[in-house]
Amino acid sequence: MRLEVSVPLLLRDCTGGRSRFSLEADTLEEALRRLIETYPLLKVHVYDERGQVREHVLLYYNDDNVAWLDDLGIPLRPGDKLRVLQAVSGG
Amino acid sequence: MAKRMVLLVGTNKGVFLYTSDAERKEWSLKGPYLPGWEAYSVLGDSRHGNRIFAGTSHAAYGATIRVSEDFGETWTQIEQGPSYSPESGFRLNRIWQLAQGHPSEPDTLFAGAEEAGLFVTRDRGATWRELDGLTKHPTRPGWYPGAGGMCLHTILIDLRNPKRMWVAMSAVGVFRTEDGGETWTPRNQGLARVPTGQPQEEVGYCVHKMVLDPFDPDTLYMQEHGGVFKSTDGGDSWFTIEDGVTLRENDAPFGFPISVAPNGDLFLVPLESSEQRAVAEGKLLVYGMHRGESRWSPIGDVMPDEPRHVSVLRDAMTVDAFDPYGLYFGTTSGEVYASLDRGRNWNRLPGQLSRILCVKPWLVED
Repeated sequence: MRLEVSVPLLLRDCTGGRSRFSLEADTLEEALRRLIETYPLLKVHVYDERGQVREHVLLYYNDDNVAWLDDLGIPLRPGDKLRVLQAVSGG
Repeated sequence: MAKRMVLLVGTNKGVFLYTSDAERKEWSLKGPYLPGWEAYSVLGDSRHGNRIFAGTSHAAYGATIRVSEDFGETWTQIEQGPSYSPESGFRLNRIWQLAQGHPSEPDTLFAGAEEAGLFVTRDRGATWRELDGLTKHPTRPGWYPGAGGMCLHTILIDLRNPKRMWVAMSAVGVFRTEDGGETWTPRNQGLARVPTGQPQEEVGYCVHKMVLDPFDPDTLYMQEHGGVFKSTDGGDSWFTIEDGVTLRENDAPFGFPISVAPNGDLFLVPLESSEQRAVAEGKLLVYGMHRGESRWSPIGDVMPDEPRHVSVLRDAMTVDAFDPYGLYFGTTSGEVYASLDRGRNWNRLPGQLSRILCVKPWLVED
C-alpha cells in the first residue's frame, strides 16, 4: 500500500530534498520502520537517544497522534497519510 | 597563492559567511545557510579541501553536525555523528565546539557537546565516538548546568604534545588529559566555585571561555563567571588577573569571551554584572591587555556615538592569523565588528544578523 508522508521543511535535507513523498508498507508499524530505513538521517531528529519520539515532535497517522494508538499494526488503506510535525511548544 | 579571509558566523538562525581579501577592508556577506538551525559551532577546515563544519541544533529536532564542501551552498548531515548511547542516560542537545586535532593528526576533529561530553573523529568527520573517560569521571554525578546549559565549550590542544588537552565545561570546570582524552583530571584549584549545593569540591566552576597562550603551552587564560584568571602551570593552579577591569565595586569582572592574538595580546568584553548581562551603561568597550602589560585597559570604544545595550557570547569573539591580526566579535543583537589595530578602532561589517552564537576565522588559500 502506498502511504503519503510529509516532513517539516527543515528536515527535507534528510529526505532527499523533498518534504512530501510516498512509502510502500502494509501496516503503520512497517511504514514507521521503513521511513527511518529509507531516510536514516531522519532518525536523530525524530527519535531521542532512548528510541522515543522526541518531546517536541509529533507523528500523525491521518488525524491520530501515533503516541496514543494502542496498536501500530494497523493495515494501511488507500489515501492514508503519515505526517512528521513539530509540536506547538511555546508562543 | 592568494589568501582570502572568511569569517564564519553561527547564529540562532543559521550560518553566515563574510569574505574579504588579505586587506580585510571590504567585506561581502552571504547567507543564511542552514536557515532555521542554531549553529552553536562552526569550523573552517582546509586540511583536505575547503570544508565547513557546523554544529546544528534545534529545540525540537536535536543536534547534528553538517558539512559543506562548497562554501555553504550545499550541506550534508553526518550520519554517524556524535551521539550518546541509550545506556548513558545523556542527551545530545547541542554541539558547542568544533576543533581541529593536533597538526600531527590531520584527520582528527573534536566536538564538544551539551550535555557536556567530548567526541572525536579520526576519519575527517565521517564517524565519531565519545571519549567517555570524561562522562565516566567519578565527579560526573556532581556536574550541574549553568544558565546556558551544561556544555563543553572549549577544547585546547598542547602543540608540543597531541596527547595533552584541556576542555572546559559550564558550570563544571576545567579538565586536562595527558593520554589523548581517555582519562581526565579536574584542574580548578584557585578558581571561584559557584554554589552548586554539592559536596564535590573538584567541580562546580563556571568557566565561560578559556584560551591557550600562543608561546607557552603551560599558560592559560580564562574568563570565568567569578572573574578573570590565569594559570602558568597548565591549569594545576589559577590566580586572578583583574587589574583595570573592575566594572562594579566589590564585584569580580563578569563576561563571556576571552581571546588571544598570535602575538599574545588578550581581549575581553566585560559586562555590567551577572544579573544584568549587558555592557555597562550601553558602552560597548573592548578591554585589552597587550603582550607585556600586566593591566587591562578599555582600549576599544566600538560605537562611541551610540549606546549599544548588548552582550557578546562566549564563542563570539575571535582573532585571525594574518599579520597584523584582525580581531572580530558579534553581538547578541546580530552585529559584527572588526578591528585591524589591536582592538583600538572598530568597523561594523555589513548586515544585521540574528543572535550571534559564534564567530570563527578561516584563512583560505585559492
